[in-house]
Amino acid sequence: MSYKIYEINEDLLDVMPQEIRDLQFKATWGNPKRGVMDLPYSKELIEEHSLCAGCPESMALRYILASLPNPEDTIIVNSTGCTSLVFPHIALHTVHSLFGNQNAVASGIKRVLEWRFPDKVKDVVVLAGDGATVDIGLDCTLQSFFRQEKITTICFDNEVYANTGGQESGLTVKGHVFKMAPKGKQWDKVPMWQIAIDSGCHYVARLTVSSPKRVETVIKKAIYVAREVGPTYVHLYTPCILEIGLNSDDGLDEMRQRDKERFAFFEYMTDAAKEVIERKKEEGLI
Amino acid sequence: MQTVKEQGIIYNRAGQRVVSPDYLLFEAPRTKHFMTGSEAVKEAVKRASVDASVSYPITPQSEAAHLIGELWVEGYVGVYFRGESEFGVMSEVAGCALAGARTITTTSGPGTLRAFENFPMWAGTRIPVQLVLMARGVNAPLSIQPDNLEVGFLLDTGCMIWYAENAQDLFDMILAGFVVAEQPSVHVPIITAIDGFFVSHTREAIMLPPEDIALPPYNPYRAPMPVIDAEVPPGRFLRDPFVMKSNYISYATHASWQWEVRSAIERSRPFAKHYLRGLTEEFGDPDADIVFVACGTAAAQSKEAVRLLEDEGVKARVVKLKTIRPFPIEELRQAVKGAKYIFVPEFNVVGWLEREVRRYLYGHSDAEIIGSPRVAGGMTMPAEVIAKEVLKLTGKEVKHVI
Amino acid sequence: MIRKRVNIRMPALGGQGAVTAAHIIATAADYEGYYAVSNPFFGAEKRMAPAESYARIGVEPIYDRGEVVYPDVIMVFHPQVITMGKSYTMPFYSGIKRKGLIIINTEEDLLTEEDRERLEELEVKVFNFPATKFAIDIAGTELSTNMAMIGALFGSIGAVGIEAIEEGIKSRFLKKFVASGGTASLDSALERKFKKKLELIEKNLNTAKAAYELAQKWAQEQGLEPFLPPPPKKVAV
Repeated sequence: MSYKIYEINEDLLDVMPQEIRDLQFKATWGNPKRGVMDLPYSKELIEEHSLCAGCPESMALRYILASLPNPEDTIIVNSTGCTSLVFPHIALHTVHSLFGNQNAVASGIKRVLEWRFPDKVKDVVVLAGDGATVDIGLDCTLQSFFRQEKITTICFDNEVYANTGGQESGLTVKGHVFKMAPKGKQWDKVPMWQIAIDSGCHYVARLTVSSPKRVETVIKKAIYVAREVGPTYVHLYTPCILEIGLNSDDGLDEMRQRDKERFAFFEYMTDAAKEVIERKKEEGLI
Repeated sequence: MQTVKEQGIIYNRAGQRVVSPDYLLFEAPRTKHFMTGSEAVKEAVKRASVDASVSYPITPQSEAAHLIGELWVEGYVGVYFRGESEFGVMSEVAGCALAGARTITTTSGPGTLRAFENFPMWAGTRIPVQLVLMARGVNAPLSIQPDNLEVGFLLDTGCMIWYAENAQDLFDMILAGFVVAEQPSVHVPIITAIDGFFVSHTREAIMLPPEDIALPPYNPYRAPMPVIDAEVPPGRFLRDPFVMKSNYISYATHASWQWEVRSAIERSRPFAKHYLRGLTEEFGDPDADIVFVACGTAAAQSKEAVRLLEDEGVKARVVKLKTIRPFPIEELRQAVKGAKYIFVPEFNVVGWLEREVRRYLYGHSDAEIIGSPRVAGGMTMPAEVIAKEVLKLTGKEVKHVI
Repeated sequence: MIRKRVNIRMPALGGQGAVTAAHIIATAADYEGYYAVSNPFFGAEKRMAPAESYARIGVEPIYDRGEVVYPDVIMVFHPQVITMGKSYTMPFYSGIKRKGLIIINTEEDLLTEEDRERLEELEVKVFNFPATKFAIDIAGTELSTNMAMIGALFGSIGAVGIEAIEEGIKSRFLKKFVASGGTASLDSALERKFKKKLELIEKNLNTAKAAYELAQKWAQEQGLEPFLPPPPKKVAV
């Protein structure tokens, strides 16, 4: 029942800012059936964000945080990039690793928490961009899959190093012109979701963030499978509207277009993962 | 690591009786064993209620790393696995410590450099990780022999650095290292260094306390930073300065955070002094005006040279530095009073220790400071060579010292 | 000549057990009550490539580390150290101290005229001793050459007795210990050769004993005094 640790001292209740009070009284703690449908009515676990107006990453974060089955026992490990700008705004335990080693730090955390609290649920979720996951972090990311670490890795793929001004990344589409690729990217987009499968992930999904409900389902599946079986990987398309020259309102439309092509919904699960997912569906948790 | 109380006696998870650090280090009866430095690491970890360790192969620390693995099988260490590279390992170690584990790891030379980005990260996140550093040459060229150039690179990472001369030092320092690093007013990483093969693979006599007693387990809830385990309210920060907010807040935060780390190292002094029985150790004739200031194996070789010089009728003494960070400033200044010549023998080409010695003795000593002998690439520093340097200085040109 | 310390350098070939020999020598000396330290030199570990190990024994605490640059005793484990220059120093006796001792595993004299002159100048004695032949005759395997060398060492320099050597051998083969990859695989080769570990220890000990007695006789003939005084922990009888 560790969400009690988020309770404000009674004597200080009247001087706390509204959003802190709302976090205690209006947020959805202690209820694994929480989800994106609560968003209009409850206090979100993220308070504002310092990303660009209309950034799909911000949408993704809000949906993910709304979907965590046990946020009070979830540790989020993050890496450098646009995503790390949002982390001070999140009400959970979060850790900023370096750049590329987020899965290694997460491995250490997960193993120790499992050992320190063998009877408790402690979900460790990695949230990192495409550069951190696939370029500089490929080694640590894949090795955590090889080792079968029980963590969920979520890649925010905007197909570019956005935070540093828009450089080509491994997940950039071939031919696309970004900085450091002035003649266009010379090689294909790395199929990270396929590599995740080959590296031992038990549940893998690829999708855009155009449908909040779909994000919720995928996140819950990924976390429940990671709890019991092994590493899971979720590849989200969160386009950088700035770098691809769109307006703040155009993010959703961009994602809906890609839903029909390179980011068409794709899901993979091992038999062991399927068993867990079916069970959770029966329990009404997915 | 949890404890079990039975009839007033506390046992750790491995079933060892928990005793105070003072008892373990100073009072428990000791018996003589004969072993290498690598085996001494195992013996220390065995009595240290260690929660986690991550390992990776590189000469000469592989033996110590896999011996810790044996302790894991035997139930003395809670979490253990092999990482993918030293960069991966040190990141995993950070994860373990952030989640509340007393964590130890080892590395050498190129491995240290591979992992480097993590060291200031450890210090900045205030995790009391212990790194046993078995110094070895750094590429290029490649050498697996003991050359401690890498320690010069580590001086400003914000980690404490202690230097062991032999297996006995290493054993005691590993135990004391946890105790000092985990003090709430300190809580920064500790690096216990040795000069590679000279200690790791040398077999020598060592006095050990019984193996059924151990240090009190780490209590992560006494840490100055909240442990990342969702059992305590989270700090509303990333263990990073608030670069995301306004620049002025971020400058001030970063600067004060960095200062705090260095202050924490300073605050470790009284604890280090207590558990190491002093930050320095002296050997030889106290009246001698020829002084060797050294650490690690260079101190050992200097002790040997002092004996040789005695035979030649020359009085000399050694001031062995047990800690480099914090640097034993007052102790050194006191110890070199009356010195005419200060030799700083080292196992690296740049003389990082000489730089430190000069910096702290400037304005405090009239002695001539000589950064010699200096050997590199892991070459041995025979006492005869040290003695020759001294005798040359005193005008006694000796061709064949032996 | 009596010294406060004996520094021993053992140039050998990879796979001969020089590192094990250093371990046993130091352990035996430690058991006998002396201060002792041993260490190997790590280069590229290869069979039949140069390999060297060192032991230091004394009546005072030993601070010296690393290679023995100025040995009192040199134990050459294989003729190729000399004949093929498979040595880390050239000539192999570089640094030998006055009144030192060289033990060479050989069935014939390998020294040149020049070597003999230089060694005589330094009053260094040379003991040519067929350790491999001994090992094959008594233990049935050349892998016990190092045992014969250990026996030859202590037989000639005195100071450490058979009981201590037995302790040294037992501690090496009975306790679990750390090995490099090369040593570990040789151990299993040995285990296959000898049915029980105790059989192995016995055969090794017998090899060492026989070599010890032979060396003792040689030392007496040469008029060699023990290299060290009695250990600090024991009183001379």
